[in-house]
Amino acid sequence: MTAISARNLSKYYGPIKALDKLNLEVPENVVFGFLGPNGAGKTTTVKLLTGFTHPTSGEAWVAGEKVGDGNLNLKAKTGFAPDVPAFYDWMSGQDFLKYIGELHHLSPTEIKSRSAEVLELVELEKAAKRRVGGYSRGMRQRLGIAQALINRPKVLFMDEPTSALDPIGRKEILELILRLRQNATVFMSTHILSDVERVCDSVGIVDKGRLLTVSTVAALQKQYARSVFEMEFTENAAGFVETLKKIGWLADAAMDMSNGKPLVHVRALEIERARKELPRLISESGLTLERYELRLPSLEDIFMEIVKNG
Amino acid sequence: MTGFIPLLKKELTEQWKTNKVLILASVFLLFGISIPLSYKYMPDLLKLSKQPINFTIPTFTAGQTLAGYAGNIGQVGLLVVVLVAMGSVATELRSGTAVITLSKPVSYAAFVNTKFCALSLNLIVSLIVASLVCFAYTFWLIGPSDVINYVGMNLMLLAFLEFSLAVTLICSCLFKSSVVCGGLSLGILILQAIISALPVIGNYMPGKLLDWGNNLVTGVDITYWWSLGITLALTLGCLVVAPQVLKNKEI
Repeated sequence: MTAISARNLSKYYGPIKALDKLNLEVPENVVFGFLGPNGAGKTTTVKLLTGFTHPTSGEAWVAGEKVGDGNLNLKAKTGFAPDVPAFYDWMSGQDFLKYIGELHHLSPTEIKSRSAEVLELVELEKAAKRRVGGYSRGMRQRLGIAQALINRPKVLFMDEPTSALDPIGRKEILELILRLRQNATVFMSTHILSDVERVCDSVGIVDKGRLLTVSTVAALQKQYARSVFEMEFTENAAGFVETLKKIGWLADAAMDMSNGKPLVHVRALEIERARKELPRLISESGLTLERYELRLPSLEDIFMEIVKNG
Repeated sequence: MTGFIPLLKKELTEQWKTNKVLILASVFLLFGISIPLSYKYMPDLLKLSKQPINFTIPTFTAGQTLAGYAGNIGQVGLLVVVLVAMGSVATELRSGTAVITLSKPVSYAAFVNTKFCALSLNLIVSLIVASLVCFAYTFWLIGPSDVINYVGMNLMLLAFLEFSLAVTLICSCLFKSSVVCGGLSLGILILQAIISALPVIGNYMPGKLLDWGNNLVTGVDITYWWSLGITLALTLGCLVVAPQVLKNKEI
């Protein structure tokens, strides 16, 4: 089943293409990371999918509901946690959840039980009766998630959920997101690659309003692993690097002395040929090999490469 | 208007918690008390100044006193209404609470119009309290006046203030800055006051309702039915358009 589906979804502001022909399918019960640099179109996408912004063209469905003007069923089935959640400071956390529950037409009994559940989930039970005005940034972020969960949403949109948190707050929120996967699809827009690497089942990379790729983190690592070989030698390998640079099936070769030992990075154009031929070339060089590995690139490496190649 | 009841409940609680109820009621009550007092004792106060007075100090009638009260509410009271209402939507847009509320199954119409209803309720209660006090004080200090005409004057005042409230609310949907909203609202209301003073066209403007109210309590038989109709239509129009303005804003 598909939780989110977009077909040629576009949003133009005059000549600026904030989002250009987005085609996307997100399955149910996954954490989907929507990754991109600032201004890439992440927030525009979230605004379009939550119905806050009208598309210039294209269409989208979320939780089986067509995204569009005033579709309140869509809002009843989804949750939205903004990057900087705002509350009425004169309310307590519990009051705010009661208010949100009433907006979702929950009965008083449901509101009471569901509030207790989500407060426990976000670990705010003890602060529930305190005024929101006195909450810390992390507590506000957690209450922002709690209010988005009160209606048991089928799809939860989170806009930069950890962008303004300290490492401890970030860790807590990411652990919470992992727990949410059991009951909902989480669409998380972020520019923090390590967050995606840690919690997302699949990832979409967007830049300049265009979706560049959609895949799982593991598949991306496998796909982009082809090019990165690392070799550590005892002796200076400058001559060997020059030899490698002249080989047609290698993209580039470089030596790094930052660890005190010569570390040679090689990116291959033909992976299978490189795997067969490189050991032979090392042997012929007469250098003493200390380490040789086909390195899995970090998501940051992949992201940079995808964005660079557009 | 899905979500009307919980939103209205929240608006009323917020008005109470943020003292908006007290602000409006206090200002209106101040005029309700001070105008009959000042009109009654103005001659005595002038005499106490011991300065030579080269004009005859008028003795105010009950009708003139009540008209004076309406005039003050129509000017200073109006300013307070704008100040209280100018941030109602703008503040929520700026802080981000509007985004959270509107991500729930509530209509834009309910979001905007509950603010109007809550502020209107505040306005009506404040006006009732102040007008009762003013009427009682005037009766006690100056003399009796016609109750029906006084009720009519207050209804005209209410219609004008509701129109001002609706204008402020639509301006509040346009900008995130409360100050800009307040400035624009006052600008529009001042412009309509200027046009109200013009011959012919002025008879169709909301500002003429204040003149009609004065006429009722001072016994002048001039009515402005077109002004009343247009004011009510404009108020309703603002309430219909304001949610659409907010929707098109793409918060």
